Amino acid sequence: MSLLEVKNLEVRFAMRKQELVALREVSFSLEKGERLGIVGESGAGKSVAAFSILNLISKPGYISAGEIIFEKRDLTRLSQVEMSKIRGNRISMIFQDPMMTLNPVLTIGTQMTETLHAHQTISKEEAKQRAIESLAQVHIPSPATRFDQYPHELSGGMRQRVVIAIALITRPPLIIADEPTTALDVTIQAEIMDLLMVLCQSSGVGLILITHDLGVISQMTERAIVMYAGRIMEEGDTTEIITNACHPYTHGLIGALPQRTAPGQRLNQIEGVMPALASIPEGCAFNPRCPLVSDVCRTTRPGYTSIGSTRVACHNFDAGNS
Amino acid sequence: MTQAPLLTVHNLYKEFPIHGSMLEQLEFRGGRLIRKRESVKAISGVDLEVHKGESLCVVGESGCGKSTLARVIMGLIPPSQGKVTYEQHRIDNIKLGNLLPYRKKMQMIFQNPYASLNPRMTVRQTLEEPIRFHNPGLSGAEVNDKVASVTQSVGVDPTWSHRYPHEFSGGQRQRISIARALAVDPEFIVADEPISALDVSIQAQVLNLMMDAREQRALTYLFITHDLAVVEHFGSRVAVMYLGTLCELAPTRKLFATPQHPYTQALLSAIPKLNQDSSDYIKLRGEVPTPVDLPSGCVFHGRCLQANERCTREVPELKLYDDTSIACHAVEEGRI
Repeated sequence: MSLLEVKNLEVRFAMRKQELVALREVSFSLEKGERLGIVGESGAGKSVAAFSILNLISKPGYISAGEIIFEKRDLTRLSQVEMSKIRGNRISMIFQDPMMTLNPVLTIGTQMTETLHAHQTISKEEAKQRAIESLAQVHIPSPATRFDQYPHELSGGMRQRVVIAIALITRPPLIIADEPTTALDVTIQAEIMDLLMVLCQSSGVGLILITHDLGVISQMTERAIVMYAGRIMEEGDTTEIITNACHPYTHGLIGALPQRTAPGQRLNQIEGVMPALASIPEGCAFNPRCPLVSDVCRTTRPGYTSIGSTRVACHNFDAGNS
Repeated sequence: MTQAPLLTVHNLYKEFPIHGSMLEQLEFRGGRLIRKRESVKAISGVDLEVHKGESLCVVGESGCGKSTLARVIMGLIPPSQGKVTYEQHRIDNIKLGNLLPYRKKMQMIFQNPYASLNPRMTVRQTLEEPIRFHNPGLSGAEVNDKVASVTQSVGVDPTWSHRYPHEFSGGQRQRISIARALAVDPEFIVADEPISALDVSIQAQVLNLMMDAREQRALTYLFITHDLAVVEHFGSRVAVMYLGTLCELAPTRKLFATPQHPYTQALLSAIPKLNQDSSDYIKLRGEVPTPVDLPSGCVFHGRCLQANERCTREVPELKLYDDTSIACHAVEEGRI
């Protein structure tokens, strides 16, 4: 039994003039303790996917179809009250900007124990003890002092450590991290990623890591999903996807990295831009930018084909076509 | 490199005062009234030369002073100390009127194309303004030709020139700001993180455009970035900055093959690479200190794994070894 199973998820935004489809036919599953990466450019729908797991899509957006099975329950059918027992308790989320996530007028300690008190019956002293332990776990020096400090007294890297500590404090089986290191410097990013990985491995926490950085995905995750214009283009083993990408978009994305071309040479660019949700082309969403486009791509949306461990949505891989 | 450098930066310092008014500076300590002044030391003693035709990349983490360096070079903010010369003429202390001919030769591309284009001006107006300002003699038709040719060269359809910036995507906007910089036919371009606000597939497009322009127009670039993968691809020389000082300055290939300074080594090892385990990066101790209260000696000593007593005391000088300049006691003493 998978920890999380997302089946045919569809998210729509009801705008005044039309309904926009932000996610279409999104299906994936996550085993206990597995690390899954979701990669894509801005507007690909990766954050919408993460938010919909926690039922955080706000109006005018709504989940229009599909199921999200987590611990044998369909999260799309839960009430807000039931959902709030899961958020921060069974599934934690780490956001991009630690300055925005932490409340600037509450001490670190208040924010940490708040989470514990919300989900568990626990005494004040015990909660404080757990919070300090949790801070020590993410390698924050002198955690007892930090407990009484405010977010502005900490550097960006330290703040993100606090956010990770809060996410882990209830010992959830699943953490969703949405671009957790994008706001940080490279040397700090390396530390935070390392920490997140070690903590996930040692306590068997499942991780969904959302990022636009293919380097991070390849170092952190076992499986990866490539999204484009609200749809999964390719899903499979991370190393397999990085070394043997099937979908032309994945190919283009990896090929566009500067390290894939000899210094000084022109980079392999993908022409054009990702379409806006209101103007997703018919057929395959990637067809106007695709170097391997054929007539069928312009008319029919491709289904999923399995090639080894990889699942790909591309007409070039339709049966007997590869 | 026997030719005189195009641009030199000599012993540059830039401090931003953060103390308030006279009254706020006063403080009682030990029964005496003391006047306390604080400042952010954004740049402390940078020496740099940019030669004609090269692309010098400046890398470093946020707060290391790389953007301040770009702004001081462009004359957007005056330095606190030191000088900037362009073709052997000092440009940091001259009057705005005398600076104008240099403004035509030196142009800047900014990081955020959402903020650097005027939302109330059409693309045509944005591009016409610098052309008319710097070439007052041009006729209307000549200006039109110029605008059309420059928009075409950056891959923006000239028929869109009556549109406003909000009608364009981020990548297109950055193309327009590159067009604006190229419109006056500059020879030197300072690009401050020109691609960090863009998506991966768009980054490649803009980087290609900048490399094409470099070839066609024989441009010299000073390229400010935090992205080392881009540096390896784009730069001919790299300057690594940390807390307002230069750590290492070397030809790109050499820097990436054999980084010398401990900070450069840590920085290079921290880039997430495809198909590589994350565990083998060099772990630095602690955090970047605040530029208000710079550490004594080498600014990196608190995080450096090679630091000894001398590093905490004495500021290392930038010394030349073959074609690499390094400011590190450990390298000088042969400890690494």
